[in-house]
Amino acid sequence: MAFDPHSLRQDFPILSQQAYDHPLVYLDNAATTQKPLSVLDAIQDYYRSFNANVHRGAHYLSDKATTRFEQARDTVADFINAPEQSHIIWSKGTTEAINMVAYGLEHLLEKGDEILITSLEHHANLVPWQQLAFRTGARLRVLPLTSEGEWEDEYASYFTDRTRIFAATQVSNAIGVHTPLQAMLTQAKQHNAFTLVDGAQAVAHYPIDVQALDCDFYVFSGHKMYGPTGIGVLYGKAHALEVLIPYQTGGEMVQHVTYQSTQFNTLPYRLEAGTPHIEGAIGLAAACKFLTQQDRHALLAWEQSLAHHVYTRLHKESQVAIYSPETHTTLVSLSVPNIHTLDLNAYLDSQGIAVRAGSHCAHPLMAQLGVAGTLRASFACYNTLEEADRFCDVLLEAIDLLTDE
Amino acid sequence: MTDLPLYNSIKQQLRACRSKEETFKALVALSKRLTRLTAEEKTEENRVKGCESAVWLIIDNKDDTSSIKADSDTKLMRGVLVAILSLVQGKTKTERQKMDLKAELESLNLGSYLTQSRANGILAIIEKIKK
Ligand SMILES: Cc1ncc(COP(=O)(O)O)c(C=O)c1O
Repeated sequence: MAFDPHSLRQDFPILSQQAYDHPLVYLDNAATTQKPLSVLDAIQDYYRSFNANVHRGAHYLSDKATTRFEQARDTVADFINAPEQSHIIWSKGTTEAINMVAYGLEHLLEKGDEILITSLEHHANLVPWQQLAFRTGARLRVLPLTSEGEWEDEYASYFTDRTRIFAATQVSNAIGVHTPLQAMLTQAKQHNAFTLVDGAQAVAHYPIDVQALDCDFYVFSGHKMYGPTGIGVLYGKAHALEVLIPYQTGGEMVQHVTYQSTQFNTLPYRLEAGTPHIEGAIGLAAACKFLTQQDRHALLAWEQSLAHHVYTRLHKESQVAIYSPETHTTLVSLSVPNIHTLDLNAYLDSQGIAVRAGSHCAHPLMAQLGVAGTLRASFACYNTLEEADRFCDVLLEAIDLLTDE
Repeated sequence: MTDLPLYNSIKQQLRACRSKEETFKALVALSKRLTRLTAEEKTEENRVKGCESAVWLIIDNKDDTSSIKADSDTKLMRGVLVAILSLVQGKTKTERQKMDLKAELESLNLGSYLTQSRANGILAIIEKIKK
């Protein structure tokens, strides 16, 4: 393999530490990734050199901060190939972006309308729609995707003339499978539904082109793609963003206010009430630059090869059940019958290995798989083959320790 | 429930652990001493809310010295429960209420096994035991 993660690791000083006297092995990247120096520096630089409120244009520092803040929007627009920077709305993260859409579209929904999601959704792309359905009398429907994520012809019947909103994840956070996005979006568009794609698990790994996807909304979090926490993105097509009722109101999002009425600002500001997360936007732009400076195909191939390596090693073990696909994924989700994933997790942790155990905010999916939870090892570009092997070795040790004779 | 180890020996054992790994192994060993609950006993009513792992606790206050039974779906929590039960077993309700269970458990050197969400769970267990 040509790609060498060792030199990349120098950008991530947090990784070279000991956890309980063992070298830290960080395999919880689907929850949040570590941040490269360039992102840390960008945030520091903002506070050290040009911290000021934006859009006030009142003085030297504010001009500087505003320029860099709006440049960040450009960088993010380029990163996902959005046609214009006004299509990029800052949010706290994926969850808030989905809520912005769920509240923003409420005025268009009527009793009997349908909101369609898939069975592979994170609670963030489920609960806001369910609650919207409760508020409006709309019906939440669930496309029963299998854990292989393949398109089946009978799925077409789930898209009806009452389908007003279709929301789906691009990649499952719990099991790492890709959904049949293009086929689903085609169906949704034939029925004139608004379409939202949850890109939270995709952006760190796959180059994104929102124009090629042709969805109305695309949402993601900065912290899962080497950027800071507390910042995320709601991308929308112009007409889709225009119809959203602002989910929050206040300063910055207005043009003129009287006691009788308010004239809202234009996009993107109309949907961004209050002082924005300036440092977050700047940090996220640095993360986009970090990724675009890499050979992204090599990074993806590397991450997939690590997941495949773990899959191949653990697949041989009769006591391990794997829920992730064999290839084309960057994580491995598994369980061991009769051993609780929290116990496995505790032993891995005692050896310095960070993974995630539990239901991964996807209770209905766990029920579909027939497990209470899984153990998930998720890879990023800085993980090494030694780390993948160490995870397998220590997991097998844990299984030995936790198996009743 | 005579097969529970003596609390003092548990305390000695856990306090002697020098690493997270040793504590893990000690708790797993302790977990084997727990008399498991039957499926019928694991009711929603007996379930302790607030624990990351599922925990059930049954307190029978009929006699002078009440009997307490407990179970969990994770081995580590079962190990912790053995420690707790050995501490309160055979005590009357008034005696239990006088004990500083939290301080006692903190002295067991359980480190991160007691912190964060698990600790909240353990606090919930302690509260239920004192009721
Ligand atoms: C697929 C998916 N959607 C949504 C979210 C929620 O993201 P956030 O917590 O950053 O809002 C996550 C995070 O785990 C996720 O993996």
